[in-house]
Amino acid sequence: MTRLTDLPPAQAKRLAELECPDFEARPWVTGPALSQRRVAIVSSAGLVVRGEDPFRGRDADYRVIPSTTRPEGLLISHISINFDRTGFQKDWNVVFPLDRLGELAAEGTISSVAQTHYSFMGATDPVQMEPYARELAGRLKQDAVDAVILSPV
Amino acid sequence: MSALAHYLEEEGIATVAISLVRPQTENTKPPRALWVPFELGRPFGPPCDPPFQRRVILAALRLLERDSGPVVIEDFPDDDPRAQPDPAWHPPSIPTAPATGSALSLAARLEAEIVQLQGAHRLWVAQHGRTTVGLSGLAIGECGRCMAEWLRGTAPPSPREGFSAPLILRFVIDDVKAYCLEAAAAGAAKPSSRQLGDWFWNETATGAVIHALREALQRSEDERLKLVAGNFMVPAARARTR
Repeated sequence: MTRLTDLPPAQAKRLAELECPDFEARPWVTGPALSQRRVAIVSSAGLVVRGEDPFRGRDADYRVIPSTTRPEGLLISHISINFDRTGFQKDWNVVFPLDRLGELAAEGTISSVAQTHYSFMGATDPVQMEPYARELAGRLKQDAVDAVILSPV
Repeated sequence: MSALAHYLEEEGIATVAISLVRPQTENTKPPRALWVPFELGRPFGPPCDPPFQRRVILAALRLLERDSGPVVIEDFPDDDPRAQPDPAWHPPSIPTAPATGSALSLAARLEAEIVQLQGAHRLWVAQHGRTTVGLSGLAIGECGRCMAEWLRGTAPPSPREGFSAPLILRFVIDDVKAYCLEAAAAGAAKPSSRQLGDWFWNETATGAVIHALREALQRSEDERLKLVAGNFMVPAARARTR
């Protein structure tokens, strides 16, 4: 078990008080039952497909992760070193639950898994990420995605 | 993460966010979030536990079927059952690093240690079918050499176009950490992240080298190098106070 109270006090304070944009709007998109949803993963773990350029510092753009990516082809290039990586080393589903999503689709709990998934670098200023996120929404729609699970580290 | 939820939802895509830091999520108010009481770095819980991971992802996805909102923030009820230390785990058999040592001797110990861990790392790869070493693009021996050169005071040039030497050093250190931690976790035991971290930072030559590099490079006049050394080499919980 690890909660914020288990972290070094300075790190816990920094995380809890991290400055975030003040969002005035409260968007809320409804949709069909889960069994009819096509689901994509959007991670902020700085994930990158092996052989492609890792995130350099706080890049604001995102990386593309095809559904055909295998565990041996995915790396974490997040700039922070203050989180556990041994879980991901042992099992990529700890951070990128593509196998679990595939099982949910196979049994009909969700309709299908997106063709492509994505990763940002979570330590980046969200304001810098905004144009890339809005562009990403277009890509997700082209893939008929109507549900995104957002995964941090 | 919550900011991405706002942007995507405003563009018409329904989202549910996993939250590891509840106060952040409460501040940014995404449409839907599931807070999980897991260690940072493990948003879907323990490794190699598909039933547990399935419960986490389903608890999150079910929030998409809620009629009322925004904002919905729910708490996942169960802790990670594998966050406890495994008494059956033993670290790899390598010479224990001295708490202090000259840069030259530490550099030599680092390169030797990488060789000593080769067998354990091969076992890891055979067990798991993968390694997460690979960010720098260098072979692991080259990574060790790169760190050793920095420690000896010779900054090696970047071998990769578009990547500065300090950035390559950061990726090299990430690769060597991954190599050592994977080697240490090879076998049937299930060490906790704390067990692995205690071994790596307190007992290995590689950990001692990273501490020494951090201290040496923070005295550099290169601001970029100082930034990398101060923030991206040693976790805050493991940093030595000077």
